[in-house]
Order: sequence, then C-alpha cells, then structure tokens
Amino acid sequence: MLEGIFIGLATAMTPFNLMMVVTGCLTGTFIGMLPGLGPMSAIALMIPIAASLDPSAGIILMAAVYYGAIFGGSTSSILINAPGVASTVATSFDGYPMAKKGMAGKALAIAAYSSFSGGVIGAILLLVAAPYLAKVSLSFHSTDYFALMVLGLTAVAAFSGKGKVIKALLMTVIGLMLSTVGTDQTQGVQRFTFGQIDLLDGISFLMLVMATFALSEALMAILKPLTGKDREREREAHENLGSMKLSKDEVKDMAPVIGRSSILGFIIGVLPGAGATIGSFLAYGMEQRLAGPKKGGEFGKGSVRGIAAPETANNASATGSFVPLLTLGIPGSGTTAIMLGALIGYGIQPGPRLYIDQPEIFWSVIVSMWLGNIILLVLNLPLIPYIAKVLTIPARFLLPLIVFFSLIGVYFVSFNTFDIHLMVLFGVVAVLFRFLDFPMAPMILGFILGKMMEDNLRRALLINDDSWSFLWERGLTVTILLIAAGTLLVPLLAPRVQIFLARRREGQGEGG
Amino acid sequence: MFVKDRIGGVLLLIFCIGYALASREIVLLPFQETMAFHARTLPEALAVMGIGLSLALIIFPGSREKLDLSGYSWITASLFILLMVAYGLTIRSLGFLLSTSGFLMLGFFLLGERKVWKMAVIAIPLVVVFWIMMTKGLDVFIEPLPEYFTE
Repeated sequence: MLEGIFIGLATAMTPFNLMMVVTGCLTGTFIGMLPGLGPMSAIALMIPIAASLDPSAGIILMAAVYYGAIFGGSTSSILINAPGVASTVATSFDGYPMAKKGMAGKALAIAAYSSFSGGVIGAILLLVAAPYLAKVSLSFHSTDYFALMVLGLTAVAAFSGKGKVIKALLMTVIGLMLSTVGTDQTQGVQRFTFGQIDLLDGISFLMLVMATFALSEALMAILKPLTGKDREREREAHENLGSMKLSKDEVKDMAPVIGRSSILGFIIGVLPGAGATIGSFLAYGMEQRLAGPKKGGEFGKGSVRGIAAPETANNASATGSFVPLLTLGIPGSGTTAIMLGALIGYGIQPGPRLYIDQPEIFWSVIVSMWLGNIILLVLNLPLIPYIAKVLTIPARFLLPLIVFFSLIGVYFVSFNTFDIHLMVLFGVVAVLFRFLDFPMAPMILGFILGKMMEDNLRRALLINDDSWSFLWERGLTVTILLIAAGTLLVPLLAPRVQIFLARRREGQGEGG
Repeated sequence: MFVKDRIGGVLLLIFCIGYALASREIVLLPFQETMAFHARTLPEALAVMGIGLSLALIIFPGSREKLDLSGYSWITASLFILLMVAYGLTIRSLGFLLSTSGFLMLGFFLLGERKVWKMAVIAIPLVVVFWIMMTKGLDVFIEPLPEYFTE
C-alpha cells in the first residue's frame, strides 16, 4: 500500500497535475456555486478539456472539479438557500438560517472544515478498502459482472425516493435503449441508425450528458428567470459574510459529528446507487436524534452540528462512490458514471485490473483527493468572498456562456454539427422530462452500463456454451442477482406492507 | 387524470413502442438468428421492459401532481433554442469567430441585455481568447473565419 501511495504522490505531485488540482477545485467551486449546475454538469463541461490531457491529469482534473462542485454547492446553499446539488440540500437547513443571522462566514467555515475532514477520512477509508476489494474482485467472472451491473442499475432506481422507483427504472431502461443505437461491435450489425451515417458510432456519451445536464439546466434557468427578490437576496448574501473564525466550543461540538458522519457517509457512498444525497440526509437525521432534546431543537435554526453532519457525509460519500468505480468498474452514482465514460474514452477500463495494470492512475486519483481537499480548505476558503461574486454575475451573460461551453465542448470532440443539433434535441426533451419530475441520472447510468452489460452477458453465454444456466448455477452471480431483486422489491413493497400493518393495527385497536 | 407521471408514462410508452417496432428492422445474418444472444436480443428485452414499466407508471402513478406550465418564459426559451440550432448551422460556414460572437451577443440580447457595446466587450474578446487557447494551447484547430476570407 505504501508503495502505491508513493506512486500516487509521484504522479499527482508533478507541477502540471498540481495545477490541475488547483484549477479543478476552483472551476468546480465556481460552477457548483451556480444554482442548478451541479457536479455532473461541472464534470461534463470538463470532459472536452480532460480529453486533451494524459489520463492521469484528466482524471485528477475531473476528481478535483467534483470536489470543488460539491463545495460550491454548499456555498450557494448557505448564502442564498439555493443548493446547486441535491447533496447540499441538507446543508441549507441550518446553513441558510445561520447566514440570515449574519454569520454566513462561520457557516461557510464549518462547511469547509467538515467537507475537508469528510473528504480526508473518506480518502483514508478508500485507501484501505479499494485495494482489498480490487484483489477480491479479481476472481469475478463476466457472469458476476453482469449481475453487478444489474445490481448497480436496480440500486439507483431503488434509492431514487418515495414514489419514484418506477420512473427511475423506466429512465434506466431508456438509457439502456439509447446505448443500443449504432453498430453492434460484436456482430457488425447496425441498430437504430435509420440510415444516418452520423449514428453509426452510436450516440456520443458526452453529448448526452451535456444535453441532459448542462444544457437542460441552462434552459430551465432561461424558462424561469430570477425575480427581483432573488437578486436582492443574492446581493445581500455576498455583502454580509461576517467572520469565518470558529470558537473552541464550536470545534468541540463538531469533532464527534465529523467522525460519525464520515464513516456513515463513506459506507453509504460505497453502496451502489445511494450516493451523497442519501448520505447527507441520513447523517443529518442521525445527528439530530443523537443531539438530544436541547441541541436537537437547534437543528433547522442554524445549528453547528446541522451543517457539519451533511457536509462531512456528502464528501465522505463522494469519496466512497469511487470504490465500486475503481475496483469493479461499476459506477455507483450518476457522477461516477460520467467519470467512467471519460475513463473509457481514454481507453482505460476501470476494474480490478486497473489496480494492477495502471497503478499510477488508481493511486493518483486517491492521492489527488487528499490534495483536492487541502486545496479546497487552504485556497478556496479564503477566496470564498471573491468566488461568491459569481452569484452576482447577471444570468443574461452567464447562461449564454454556459450554453456556448456545452455546445462547443461537444463540437470540439467530433467536429460534426449533427452532434450540436442532436444535443439541442436531447436538451429540449430533457427539459420536458424535468418538468415531469423524471430523474436523469438513472438514464445516464443505464447508457453507460448498457454496452458493458451486453458485452459481459455475451461473454458469459459464450463461456457457458450459449446456456443461460449461469444465472442460477454460479453461487456469486445468484447472490448478487438476489440482492438486486431485494433492493428493488423492498422499496416497492415496503409502503404497501406499512399500510397493511397500519390497517391491521387499527383493526386490532378497534377490536380491543 | 393528467398527472405528471401519466403524461411522462404515455410519452415514454410511445417511445418504447417506436423502439420495439424499430428493433424488428435490425437485420441479422442467417447464422446469427440461431444464436442464443444476437444483436436483436437486448433491444427486444428492453422494449418489453420499457412498455411494461410505462404501463405500470400510467396505471400506478407515483404522485398525483399536475403539470403546471404557466409563469415560464416560453417565447425566450424557444428563441434561444432556435439560436442554438442556427449556431450549429453557421459554425462551419461563418467560421468560429463570427458565428460564436454572433451567438453570444444574440443570446445576451434575448435574455435582456440592450447595450450593444457591453455585449461586444464581453463576447468578442472571450471568443478570440478562447480560439487562441484552443488552437495554440490545445492544438485543436477550427476555421476562424469564412473560407472565402482565409483563402
């Protein structure tokens, strides 16, 4: 492990890669701070630039952007109660009330220290867990990978929230369908190309991500411009930051919260599909319960613990979500799905072999997480009053620029104007489905995993002489598939079981 | 009746039926048809799943929330979409510098900016610097002006 850390340090500490960490953190913070634009859009916007770099630098840049965007999201949550990402919604519960009391600087400092601690503890846990899991997963067959991908897809749907499971599953299937467009590489057969040469290579992953996130979010902002009241709130927020210093008592109050939330966040992050949003809400809920009646009553009114818990957990979860990506090659979240797409674009297949074949990439990602967190704390925190000025750039200038960077990012990869037009079409469709409250992340995950899943299934059938028996004969495959079925059925059936039990209790109450 | 989930379900049902019909057009070679897994297997399975899930969503919507389209700037957004399409059509013929400057300035105008000098001061230097960065820094060349200008 120590050797690995040195490899990672040697790769990540080159002046150019350090510059990538700094640039990524600052850019990510900048983009993440813009309401509506989250880590997915931030990473998507970076892919064209990352594609022109060597794999290590590119991945380091994207990982830094990821952290920066989460940090930036917290800033807009605290300052203007407009979380850029779902994972920082819980931060706004106490961050914004604290900012309203004139202590925005303190809230930002708590968020920054907690994010730093969560990220660093998460990276230590990743350091321990990833190589171990990578070694274990070396024994996995293509049948197990197929089952793991099914688990990844069902878990994302299962964790999508109450009443959204079917919608998320449907969007996953749509993503899988889109992945089948183009030439089937194994058999050389064209699928859904409708005679269009531009579709022979399939739908561009970057185009799809840009359209469904960056472009559709910009279009949503054009559709619903900010009111005068919102602008006034933003102006006030960046003018009255207050002191960023924390008292000894506040640090004492935060410390155990950070410890607990880091571990919880990391475990949630490792689970496919759960991710930073669930991690942050669970940590917030857990701390509220553990705080007791007095401290618990402060939650929602500007509690130190209420900011520290979700901020620590969302960063630890973000780190945890790299475990399945780096060791199994299976993304556990929409963001890591985008990163997987970028890695595949480099010709790198994440998975257990990555640890052995390209240790410099594996370790440099882990080390860059530490560096990223240090940069965020040392560089971003003092710069926050200046970076927060981004919130005052008028939308009439900002939105056309975001759209331009999205369109040109896609065009510069293919130099095909067809991609621009297809992107506009997908962007418009994505806006429509945003209005209908359909989640986009499962679709991206389905799109990314579609080809891999089909390849693994084909390979499994080839190894098993065209017999489907591996689905029920190989123990590990069966176990994973059963877990997948369980993750899917529990959230679907749980509400019905609860209603049934409640009715039964009511019936017994009336009877008794 | 017309809740968000049902509208989405119907739209995706139409898409899945279209996908199912298109999957029948995938041409296989005779020997491929007898294989346990061929190029049509996954699309057919996905079409069945998609149709089943769309129907499930239409019958059992997760929420009863209705679609409310009032209070949005539809005209501005539609014009902006047209502007993006126009940008795609002109980026080659007009070259990067002219088409992008035009796109940005018209975009600023659509979203409410009325001072031409302000639009030009933001758009033109940014486009020129971006072009220099891409061509000189990242070796990504793109025709800066219309071809008859540069010939």
